Amino acid sequence: MKKQIPNLAGGMFLILLLVFPLVYSKGDYDYIMHIMITGFFYAILAASWSMLSGYAGQFSFGHMGFMAIGAYTTGLFCHYFYISPEPTGLCTEMGFFGQYLIVVNPIGVTSTTLTQDCLRQAMDVWGDTVKVTPMPVFLGILLGTIMGGFAGFLVGMLVLRLRAAYLALFTLGFSEILKATISAEINITRGQAGLELPPLYPDGITLLGHYYGPTAKLPPYYTMLGLLLICLLILTWLARSKFGLFVRALREDQDAAAALGVNTVRYKVLVFTVTCAMAAAAGAVQGHYVQIITPNMLFLLQMSLVVAMAVIGGIENFVAAAIGAIILQVVLELLRNSFVIGGVEVDMTIWRLVIFGLLLMITLRFFRNGLIAPIIAFFGREGVAEETVAKRSAGSQEAGS
Amino acid sequence: MLFFGVVIWMIVWSIIGSIMIKRRYLARDLDTSNANFMGAMAGAALGPVGIAALWSRTPTKSGYLTVGLGLLTVLIVAVTFSFADPENICVTSGGFVASQFVNGLIIGIIYGFMALGLSLIFSILGVVSFAHGEFYMIGGMSVYYITAVWFPGVSPLIGVMGACAIAFVLGAVFERLMLTPMYHGKIDRPVEYGILVTFGLAFTLQYFVQATAGANPVKVQRYLSFPRWQFPEDGDPVWIKTSRGSLTLFDQVSISSPRLTAALTCIFVLLALLYLLHRTWTGKALRAVSQDREGAAIAGINPDRMNMLAFALGGMIAALAGALLVQAFSWLPQVGAIPAMRSFVIVVLGGLGSLPGAFLGGIMVGMVEAAGTGCVPDAQKAASYIPAYGMIVLTLTLLLRPTGMFGRRFASSTHGQH
Repeated sequence: MKKQIPNLAGGMFLILLLVFPLVYSKGDYDYIMHIMITGFFYAILAASWSMLSGYAGQFSFGHMGFMAIGAYTTGLFCHYFYISPEPTGLCTEMGFFGQYLIVVNPIGVTSTTLTQDCLRQAMDVWGDTVKVTPMPVFLGILLGTIMGGFAGFLVGMLVLRLRAAYLALFTLGFSEILKATISAEINITRGQAGLELPPLYPDGITLLGHYYGPTAKLPPYYTMLGLLLICLLILTWLARSKFGLFVRALREDQDAAAALGVNTVRYKVLVFTVTCAMAAAAGAVQGHYVQIITPNMLFLLQMSLVVAMAVIGGIENFVAAAIGAIILQVVLELLRNSFVIGGVEVDMTIWRLVIFGLLLMITLRFFRNGLIAPIIAFFGREGVAEETVAKRSAGSQEAGS
Repeated sequence: MLFFGVVIWMIVWSIIGSIMIKRRYLARDLDTSNANFMGAMAGAALGPVGIAALWSRTPTKSGYLTVGLGLLTVLIVAVTFSFADPENICVTSGGFVASQFVNGLIIGIIYGFMALGLSLIFSILGVVSFAHGEFYMIGGMSVYYITAVWFPGVSPLIGVMGACAIAFVLGAVFERLMLTPMYHGKIDRPVEYGILVTFGLAFTLQYFVQATAGANPVKVQRYLSFPRWQFPEDGDPVWIKTSRGSLTLFDQVSISSPRLTAALTCIFVLLALLYLLHRTWTGKALRAVSQDREGAAIAGINPDRMNMLAFALGGMIAALAGALLVQAFSWLPQVGAIPAMRSFVIVVLGGLGSLPGAFLGGIMVGMVEAAGTGCVPDAQKAASYIPAYGMIVLTLTLLLRPTGMFGRRFASSTHGQH
């Protein structure tokens, strides 16, 4: 019975998360919801990173890079592509099922005198007579996911020979190149000024007879939670199938795995593709939720948050990593309150990160499986010892008789 | 347009070359270890002709051939650049080129010195220290605190030495507390553990300094002011002229005092370090551990103590670089990130774990940065791309030749295999 405790606790935690937005109604509702959504976002990243790095042993520092690929793909897609029933005569455009697919020209951020791109100019001429349709957000997220998976596939192909420190440096380099490119190509990506995205549900959404506007927190909450659950289901399914066994073999000894007939190339590339696609999907949804993306989300600090969350949760157990990410995100927000001790004001906005770093080091040093994974394992392995003893004694009796 | 055409041509042929020459060497059952790199260089330098020559002759690989082809590539890029943009200041003004060259050399020596610490740590512990940039930051901050806050008016020399001592102790304590379990097989994957735990140290140090020192930039006075002097007295051009803050050679090349003192100190400390490594028992023991851990242990060297020494020394070297550069740049808790990235690039370029490689790589990166900032038109975009140049070099080196220029393959399993 004790064996079921992690499952029961997990189920209760999940139910709590599911009903939370419906029952909670204090004044700081939006703030708490925002923290939770960000927590789910980090949970997806931490879970997929722990699959890649902990489970498959491909130690990558470029996870935020793939996340940014997802976010920027959907951002650029929604920013530059429109469908219009009339040709503008100014933009690059082509026929598209009886309408026109319009590619807006990039104007950058510096041309303040020319704030109008070609589509806005055309719309000024039309007035209200023509209705331009923006691209569906869902399609952008899907494209972002595919692009993230594709980038993961390419990187996976490139790093076949690299291991350990070399792989970490390569992926770090990849992420930094991406950051520099996004910052430098101001004309297209708007650089540090940030790219604006349409909200996740641009026209609002009606759920169970209640209308939620584009900026309401509840629909993105369930979207992000749903994405997290889908990712965890896929990861669980992968880990329990042949795939999980093979990538673990890859982690322990690549040459031995290859000698025993594991197609190491295929599984290495596959694990990169799947986890990077998940990171990209999370990035795309988060981008639409916060409605602005900047190259700063590629800073090493962001990556270190994900790494620390996964490590503290339990690097080789992605469910524990996800739970760890949610809990840590909430704890980090709760620790924001500065306090005065002995006449000295302690600025907790920075000290909390010092504590976080210390916690990361202590976890690594003394709790190598993280803080949450051992709890799950403790209950999960309840009775295993007795079973083994019973089996052994039964076996020896058989041998004896 | 011409320039980018040539560059794209080179990239295409180097990709083709790296793939085809590798296949060819594999098919002929020859040593393929560097075939990728040589093929890429031949493709970039000579295009299809070079690849065809390599393809038909399949010469035994020699360093001279590869280096020659590499230099030819650089030359072709430079010549194309001068043809494509004849108005550029790098083509028209020899004095500017000389000035950029000397300043690139000087800053490169400092970069190389800092990367040397990272390489020392890797060659002995097998860990890429992600906290290297934070040691650099700690070095500068310590000098500021010692000379300006705790003991105002104290000689900068004491500040620098204090910074070195702080970093040395910090490195030694951290190694004892955090890195010891990875030496004895207690951890499944020691390399990943080392990366993560130094990453944690970097995170903690950076925010600790930000929490205690604040996020305002600090600056230290320059350590040394030159006397006013020139030689010859009434020559034209004047060979050497010094003013308080800088030194001018031939009226063209101006070197600022902080950079010159930093570079000279780096060279001096480097010589001392070489003496330590090659002439003393401790240094020989360090090198022995980096070559063969078990062998060194049999010969009576305590490898764990050497690990501690190497990590502390590596941290101290980074802190010294920071302590010397704090007089040239303003200092923030986040200041370590860019030098840390640059050190990664340099050690990978020179070969992870190779000390001369790190130093030479540093000089090369310094020169390339000087050329990049001085010569590339559209300065704003160039400045945004500067962090990317180094990273492109890093990823290309890892793909084509993971051992770098002077790298060797590490036999022990603690070092990441290629």
